[in-house]
Amino acid sequence: MAAYILRRMLSTIAVMAMVGIFVFLLLRLAPGDPAAMMAGKAATAERIAAIREQLGLNDPVPIQFVRWVRDMLGGDFGISIFAGRPVLELISQRLEPTLSLSILTMILSVTIGVCFGILAAWRTGGLVDRLLTAFSAFGYSVPVFVIGYFLIYFFAIRIHWLPVQGYVPIDRGLGPWFAHLILPTVALGLGYIAFIARVTRASMLEVLSEDYMRTAAAKGASSYAILFHHALKNAGVPILTVIGISFAYLIGGVVLTETVFNIPGIGRLVVDAINNRDYPIIQSVLILTSGLYVLINLAVDLSYTLVDPRIRY
Amino acid sequence: MAISRREIIKTGLAAGAAVSIPAVLRAQTLPADARTVRVVKPGFLTVFDPVATTTYNSADHGLAVYDTLFALDSKFIPQPQMVGKWSISEDKMTYTFELRDGLGWHDGTPVNAADCVASIRRWGQVHPGGQLIMARAKDISKKDDKTFTIALKEPLGLLIDILADLTTPCLFVMREKDASRPATEQVTANIGSGPFKFNHALARPGATFTYDRNEQYVPRSETSDGFAGGKVVKVDRVIWNNMPDQQTAVAALQAGEIDFLSGPPADLYPVIESDPNLELQVLNKAGDVYFLRMNCLQKPFNNVKARQAMLHLIDQEAFMRAVVGNPQYFNTITAAFGSGTPYANDENTGWFKKGGDPEKAKQLFKEAGYTGEKVIILDPTDWHEADVAAQLLADSLRKVGINAELAPSDWGGVSARLKNRGPVEGGGWSIFITNESTFDRSNLFNSTQVANGESGFAGWPKSDEYEALRAKWADAETLDERKALARKMQRLYWNFVGTVLLGQAVSPIARRKTLTGLIGMPALTPMWKMEKA
Repeated sequence: MAAYILRRMLSTIAVMAMVGIFVFLLLRLAPGDPAAMMAGKAATAERIAAIREQLGLNDPVPIQFVRWVRDMLGGDFGISIFAGRPVLELISQRLEPTLSLSILTMILSVTIGVCFGILAAWRTGGLVDRLLTAFSAFGYSVPVFVIGYFLIYFFAIRIHWLPVQGYVPIDRGLGPWFAHLILPTVALGLGYIAFIARVTRASMLEVLSEDYMRTAAAKGASSYAILFHHALKNAGVPILTVIGISFAYLIGGVVLTETVFNIPGIGRLVVDAINNRDYPIIQSVLILTSGLYVLINLAVDLSYTLVDPRIRY
Repeated sequence: MAISRREIIKTGLAAGAAVSIPAVLRAQTLPADARTVRVVKPGFLTVFDPVATTTYNSADHGLAVYDTLFALDSKFIPQPQMVGKWSISEDKMTYTFELRDGLGWHDGTPVNAADCVASIRRWGQVHPGGQLIMARAKDISKKDDKTFTIALKEPLGLLIDILADLTTPCLFVMREKDASRPATEQVTANIGSGPFKFNHALARPGATFTYDRNEQYVPRSETSDGFAGGKVVKVDRVIWNNMPDQQTAVAALQAGEIDFLSGPPADLYPVIESDPNLELQVLNKAGDVYFLRMNCLQKPFNNVKARQAMLHLIDQEAFMRAVVGNPQYFNTITAAFGSGTPYANDENTGWFKKGGDPEKAKQLFKEAGYTGEKVIILDPTDWHEADVAAQLLADSLRKVGINAELAPSDWGGVSARLKNRGPVEGGGWSIFITNESTFDRSNLFNSTQVANGESGFAGWPKSDEYEALRAKWADAETLDERKALARKMQRLYWNFVGTVLLGQAVSPIARRKTLTGLIGMPALTPMWKMEKA
């Protein structure tokens, strides 16, 4: 197992290196110029050129790349061109909102999605199954911003129960923190509930059709024991995979929810940076996100051993 | 089914708790301090240094944190602000300025004349009017801690107007050590002598910035008037939020989570108007002018006939209907130097015709020798108004037989491509659309009003005759002289067509009725004087 983990960690470095080269080149090849964005709409070409020179953007791309890699290996992810602050400081400011939203969404989605999936598999073909299938289709097909605007209109504007937007750090009180995350979590979680419910249902149905399930039932095992002790454990590997992928996707993919609910998270940081061509932020976030993605996948792979003793690394 | 008394009580308590929890949570999330104003403006603040950029948000930041030597009042007359007394020598070659009492930096040190000298020099690198001052200046130096002089090689009648100019970048006075940096290098210390202190501890770049009332600030004794007069701050704190989704911003305004929203989307005006707690208010009555620039260096617009064709083609009303929608908030415009400004006039505006004149445009394109060259229109899809205008323009051009093609990208892509002066086959461009404050158009130092060819603003129109008049304009001593020159310049401008106007629009702000005292001036929104009930 230790050798496997080491191999995977080494592969993480290779992945991050490839992402780094790709992102760096992509940004330099894509149209756009941070100097022009900084100078403003009415700036002359001479003024933009002077800012480019000041920012070191006129240096040859290979020199810029080597400088970036050297600094990064020394733990310096650079300074934001616009904010003038260290990129790591900006990322750390945005990490808490994104992690809070992602973790709450996963808790909600896994709890409800897995229950819905089990229920649908248990009552397959019945009314409950059809209702849950319809719910899944709804959750999949309605965009997060539609749900978001509806929730804002009803819960914040009409009945004044919850705030429209924003984020309050957890150290300023659990109540305000939670209140600001309820609507975005529900809006974002709906699609994931549907996804996890469908995968759980399919996986459970496959396991429930196995001979040993019929044997367990013939031996008088209760529905609870069949579903939760025998079936769910055996159906766990695909469910864990989906949960892991969903969580990794959430970290980098919550930008729409962050925008609708005005949550200052990582997604918005990257989108703003892309709009402004703030290269150091884009490069650093993508590098760190890719590393996180690989690590989450590794954690998911390792968790398989918990639900399936046949899997060994 | 029998229901016991205990079950009824338990159910009642549970229901009560369930209903009250959200209200309790919400109560904890509302701003407790009624002396805090929360504002949202589109675009947000990305560059802290208001001298390093021309963006209005940075200038708004500058108005809060820094102070200015002079400031324009509501009639656009320069009035002393940091300056207490000033005088001009009899030969009109030397200006002497004395700072007023009570000026201090946010770090506790007093403002010194050396700070002003360094600030003028730095601003003079980037502002066209400032560049003129630097070109004419023999010496700018400190005389004592409170006094400095500007000695000129030749008189400059507009000197005070230029120092007070609100066309960005404005002359914000910074500490000498900050202002000693080149203007290409951002000053991010945010330590000024203005009425608000920038709260570094609460700064969240890209999300929220907080400005606290500067307790030590000594306002002038005169009543606040435009940007001039006493900058009296009546709230403790202003929080500037970045809210990229305008619909969410309007919802937040309705819910009382913010107090002020700049530039709400026009399709949500009815929602705002129907809310008894909200009000739409036009602060910038002069509004903005939308216009297009053509690449005068390349075909077909290197031929003046093709540029004149564009002047006749544009149906301003149709463009403004598409861009703004509600006729209450737009009008057509023919004056080159802004409508409602001191230099607005009707010289040489015979080209304007309601509905445009596509036949005349077609004829002029023919006279220009147009033979089907591709016309590339830069289309910034992340800027709704310009995107809509670009699409309508492409359609209008195609209808008169022009091979028009849209080049969609975000604004970042547009600004990068604007630098390319070459033909469209080499990644160049033919037309781009932008806007600016109407007031800025009356400033002939503004880069978009210059016609000095390749060293000017994108589009690069060139007219030596016009430039000669523009140079005289700076020397004119009276407003009437400048008005007369503006007429002559406009005659030339609409002949060589440096710009084609698409219309003039005002954009109301939305505010909660509890927020009052907002200052209505072009382009910029100061934070002083506002009050919250």
